[in-house]
Amino acid sequence: MDELFAPPTYAWNRLSPKYRTLRRLTSLLVAPILFSVPAIVVGLVSGEWWISAILWGIAAVIAVSRLLLVDRNWRSWGYVEREDDLYITHGVLFRTLVAVPYGRMQLVEVESGPLERAFGLASVTLHTASASTDATIPGLTPDEAARLRDRLTELGEAQASGL
Amino acid sequence: MSQFPSQQDQPRPSPPPMPEQGGSRTANLAPAVSGAPVVKQTERPHPLTPFIRGWLVLVAIVIGFGRDWLPNGSNEPRMSVSDLQWVLPLIAVIVVVAAVVGFVSWYFTRFVIDDEELRIETGALFKNSKRVPFERLQSIDVIQPFAARMFGLAELRLEVGAGNSTIKLRYLARSNAAQLRDYLLARAHGEQASRSHIGPASSVMTDLSSAERPLVTVSAKRLVAAFVLSTEWLVTMGIAVLAIGISAQQQVVGYALPGLIPLLIGGVTMIGRRVVSMFHFTLAQSPRGLRVTRGLTNLTSQSVPVDRIQGIKISQPLLWRPFGWHRVDVDILGYGTSAGENNESDATSVLLPVATADQVQLALDEVMPQVDLNAVPMHRSPSRARWFNWFTAQTLRYGWDPSVLITEHGLLTRVRNIVPHAKTQSVRIEQGPLQRRLRLADVHVDTPKGPVNAVARELDEAAARELALSQLDRARAARGLDRERLAQRRSPQPAPDRRQADELADREALARFGIDESAFLGSGSESRVFALDENLVLRLYRSRHEGPAEVAAQLRGLYDFWNGADPGFEVPRIVDTGEVAGRMYTMDRRLSGRNFSGWLPEAAEDERRSALRSYLRVAMSISRLPSPVAGFARLVGEGAPQQFGSLAELLSAQLQRVIGASRDRLEADLPDVAEIWTQWHRDIAGRASSPYLVHGDLCPANALCSRGPDGTPVVTGVLDFSPHTLAADPLMDVTGAICFLELESYPEAAADAAWLTEQAVAELGEDIRHWIGVYRRFYAFYFSSAHHFDEHLYAWCLRQLRPSPVFEPSS
Repeated sequence: MDELFAPPTYAWNRLSPKYRTLRRLTSLLVAPILFSVPAIVVGLVSGEWWISAILWGIAAVIAVSRLLLVDRNWRSWGYVEREDDLYITHGVLFRTLVAVPYGRMQLVEVESGPLERAFGLASVTLHTASASTDATIPGLTPDEAARLRDRLTELGEAQASGL
Repeated sequence: MSQFPSQQDQPRPSPPPMPEQGGSRTANLAPAVSGAPVVKQTERPHPLTPFIRGWLVLVAIVIGFGRDWLPNGSNEPRMSVSDLQWVLPLIAVIVVVAAVVGFVSWYFTRFVIDDEELRIETGALFKNSKRVPFERLQSIDVIQPFAARMFGLAELRLEVGAGNSTIKLRYLARSNAAQLRDYLLARAHGEQASRSHIGPASSVMTDLSSAERPLVTVSAKRLVAAFVLSTEWLVTMGIAVLAIGISAQQQVVGYALPGLIPLLIGGVTMIGRRVVSMFHFTLAQSPRGLRVTRGLTNLTSQSVPVDRIQGIKISQPLLWRPFGWHRVDVDILGYGTSAGENNESDATSVLLPVATADQVQLALDEVMPQVDLNAVPMHRSPSRARWFNWFTAQTLRYGWDPSVLITEHGLLTRVRNIVPHAKTQSVRIEQGPLQRRLRLADVHVDTPKGPVNAVARELDEAAARELALSQLDRARAARGLDRERLAQRRSPQPAPDRRQADELADREALARFGIDESAFLGSGSESRVFALDENLVLRLYRSRHEGPAEVAAQLRGLYDFWNGADPGFEVPRIVDTGEVAGRMYTMDRRLSGRNFSGWLPEAAEDERRSALRSYLRVAMSISRLPSPVAGFARLVGEGAPQQFGSLAELLSAQLQRVIGASRDRLEADLPDVAEIWTQWHRDIAGRASSPYLVHGDLCPANALCSRGPDGTPVVTGVLDFSPHTLAADPLMDVTGAICFLELESYPEAAADAAWLTEQAVAELGEDIRHWIGVYRRFYAFYFSSAHHFDEHLYAWCLRQLRPSPVFEPSS
């Protein structure tokens, strides 16, 4: 984490390690599953199973390379609540630091898909009047997500200002 | 009966207890509201609506089918005349279905727009009810598609902000739409306007539109010239010419033409969007924000409260540069999400389609008066930025001042984005892998969806971080200021420290009329009056808030209503109203005579007495002026006219409005004030009177006297009808005339007042002595807030309320 994206005077809050596990799992599974469909179809239809093998090979390469990146990506995430704004940073190649003033929050959204639920994870998204505000924190424990939601709503209300 | 501070076991009926000091204005208003009718009046759009929508469908169909008859490259037209026999019935069926659907949707559309809420209900099967808080309104547009325009109808379109939440009311009578627009704009500004006030007194409407001042109009010539020189048009035409040229050279024009048709359609659409819909473009300043009107066939009028503008973009295509033309777009919540520019009747975010630098400045002065764009220090991106921006690196600049952030970029089209700090939604730093090599980063200042996209590109890392973090601080400070301003606007009391600023503004306003302080005639509670010439006076209202505009409009209506009535003395007339140097003013007819209060100390006793007799007569004949509403009512001020069921309810409500400010002080000075308050309510409940017009503040300072034909001095005019003016008991003015005479500072004032009381009793009978006492206590409560500014008056109030021999001074 370099200077440019560090939060002023605070340390980043990190995502739950379970999120890394989840990402590892999806990295391992998604590409092979996606590639298996055409691979099997091609193999069954044409009998040319070597094409399928190549496809599986590509899938394996993708899965491994993504697996290797998961850790860096997971480490790149961070968020911190300051007195007036919420800072979120993420990205390995393309890095982003977004700061959202509490007074500008329109709503706070907590989401948890089936996979995330299985891992006991949830994500929190802040919406402002601007569509380009990209403030999602994935991979939080449900407790932390609920705490964040309540805290943000409370702060948002206290500092709310008209559009 | 009524309890002063608090006490259990209130027997009913009881006048409301005195409100708490901290009790907000709403608390004060609460009892007043109960006097208004409770049943909600729902409205429907205009009955012609289904027909117009049917007509629009027909037009759409004709265009749709018509396109198929056009040659489109294939040799055979797709449809032949023989197809008409089934096409026509089909069209008829579609039109009928559309009309039926239109009728049903019209029938089930209802809306309520009143003092409390804005609610729209639609849907026959699936009911939908939308209720919008007034503060959330972002912009209000009146749109007249050609068909609706023929019938004098208009669509009212409300942008509510986030998401796809545009509310469309179609169609309304044009005047109704304009009236609702003005009312909603007032409410969007956080004013407590009342629709009934803006409503039927039609003169108010015209006032508002006459108060509109055109800032910029765009001539057709310039519009077309600018369009022809715009980059988009040149590129489109360039491609077309190139395509025709190449195909001509290859001798394949016939084959290439069909391919050109989309280009052609694109060109026509562009003309429609940039020329037809921008025709007669006028940017005007209205009392509540900016108004854009435009359109050749479809008329569009967009109203935007200035503080809802989220960002500004000024752009200049290459070929506009020699002419010094610019285009100005703004971000408004909601505009970005509607399909926008494709439909020419739609609201667009254009503030000025083409304008000179001076005109742009004029518009900017309205939108952000405190900003001088040219004075903002700008910083360049470092020269290593040229690795990513080969040609434009030199044009990348950013800067800020206390109120806005500015970013610039572009070589062919120069673009300048301006975001007020208070509107900053979030701040982002972004950096790609290559940028990291060069230690560069972009800073985005996010605004709602729209043309404005403020990005400071390719900054040095340290500068980027500094800009982002400091921008957050500036945004926070600006939001704080905004909140304060809003709170101030909601409380109409001008802060004391603003008085000095007001005087400066006064001076500036007077200079505009070519007069100065020497023309000063007198002052009332809300305004100061200056002589313009022999026939006109200028009345300058004190503060900048919009309350006076409402009061002045109501007074104008009231005075106009009296036109022709002859009460036996002169009443004012308002000739013109407007705003100058940020101050409301009215131009009133100048009444003859001199100020009665100034004349009294100079006059000999017999002359004075004779004049006072006519003063009493005038006080009694104010009731000859007709009241514009039936029953007991408040006639002027916020929420007026407001009717009440009885005299006691009206006067009690009047006291409720003011007593909060003096309650604590009264309690300290008069331990038994609760008792007096209750007793007063009990007394007034016993007064039988019919409602007549009451000036409410009839004092010598508000009367004018001159010498009659026989040389005797008489009171000939009454000034300054005000929010104190009511439809109530005429005895109030008689009492007022006496009380306020008593408060005059010349030595014999008290004796004169006692004498005048006897005159009144002689004229009206012995029993009015009691009622004069009751009304004395009314005025004492009513003016008790004087302890803030006039101890003399406050002492008088206390004397009236103390149950002592002073109570009825004449006895």
